Amino acid sequence: MSAPAVDPAVHAWLCASLGLLFAFASAHKLRAPRAFAAQLAEYRLVPDAASLPLGFALGAGELALALALCTPALSRAAALGAALLLALYAGAISIDLARGLDDFDCGCGLAPRPLGPGLVARNGLLAAGALVAALPALPRALGAVDALTIAAGTLCFALLFAAADTLAARRASAA
Amino acid sequence: MMQALLVSNALLWIAVLALSLVVVALVRQIGVLHARIAPVGALDTGAGPRPGDAAPELLVEDWSGRRVRVGGASEDSRSTLLFFLSPRCPVCKSLLPALDAIAEQERAWLRVVWASDGARAEHAPLVAEHDLASRPFVLSTPLALAYRVGQLPFAVLIDAAGAVRAAGLVNTREHLESLFEAQALGVPNLQTWLTERSDRRRAAG
Repeated sequence: MSAPAVDPAVHAWLCASLGLLFAFASAHKLRAPRAFAAQLAEYRLVPDAASLPLGFALGAGELALALALCTPALSRAAALGAALLLALYAGAISIDLARGLDDFDCGCGLAPRPLGPGLVARNGLLAAGALVAALPALPRALGAVDALTIAAGTLCFALLFAAADTLAARRASAA
Repeated sequence: MMQALLVSNALLWIAVLALSLVVVALVRQIGVLHARIAPVGALDTGAGPRPGDAAPELLVEDWSGRRVRVGGASEDSRSTLLFFLSPRCPVCKSLLPALDAIAEQERAWLRVVWASDGARAEHAPLVAEHDLASRPFVLSTPLALAYRVGQLPFAVLIDAAGAVRAAGLVNTREHLESLFEAQALGVPNLQTWLTERSDRRRAAG
């Protein structure tokens, strides 16, 4: 039994998808730092004064991860970092859910939505994908067909993620 | 063989992408539908006592001669739903069964008072048809004037302390229920709440 490994096309697809996700997430945080700091303060996990610098750090960190995920030499380490960051978010949401704090916008999606177990599951799933991307790749040269797989797969991920996120937010607001 | 697989793979990706686009379009369409079927509330006509004001207090006689007090602190700590109707208003009649159901279901906290004004003879067929004689149905011009009722059917929700909680033109059962929703949410009417909510969303987004 050999050590777990992943096909390079799957690795590239996961890295591209997660990279796109983090690029969008960091743009959302860095474009409106004050709004995001206000959302961070709602979590009541860090002192209010630390929200703004922490928001900047998270936004910058996500941007760095997005760039590193698209750099072949750094992508494996970046995938591990992405998994840790996603697990950190899931942990923060779980803590607030356990404390009964769920009546505020999580600041973590395309549309405003309150905290919920669905978000923990979503981040867990994304973190699992990032862990798979952090596995060593099988030695195989990528060809033209792989380019199609990676590009189309990433586009599908983006579309379906946006659709699922919008649906979940609408369901939460209708409830 | 390899060629066939490649072609099929490419075609499948095209199909999956097309399906993803359809899913996104459907999700957006659901959003449009949500906005269109947003709850509608009783229409605020701008006349009469405003929500928060003390309801005009009147002592009137109902159809069967019993005394009915409208406004002021209620003795049994129940709220009052004042429903203005007219025998010449078909929409009012269509709402009477819903009003009966509400009076029955919400009996624990709500008293319904039916009100109209005008000639007694004009109301007799309506009273007979809907058994209003056994209910607090009052025929009083001062009452209609005190609440400045212009358009019908008009409903006013008065809380146990005698303050107006919600009021408006009610054309459907949904409009009637919107008065209770407005009271529960602490807003003058549901339109206010919907406007404030979309403002809040815009501010958050």
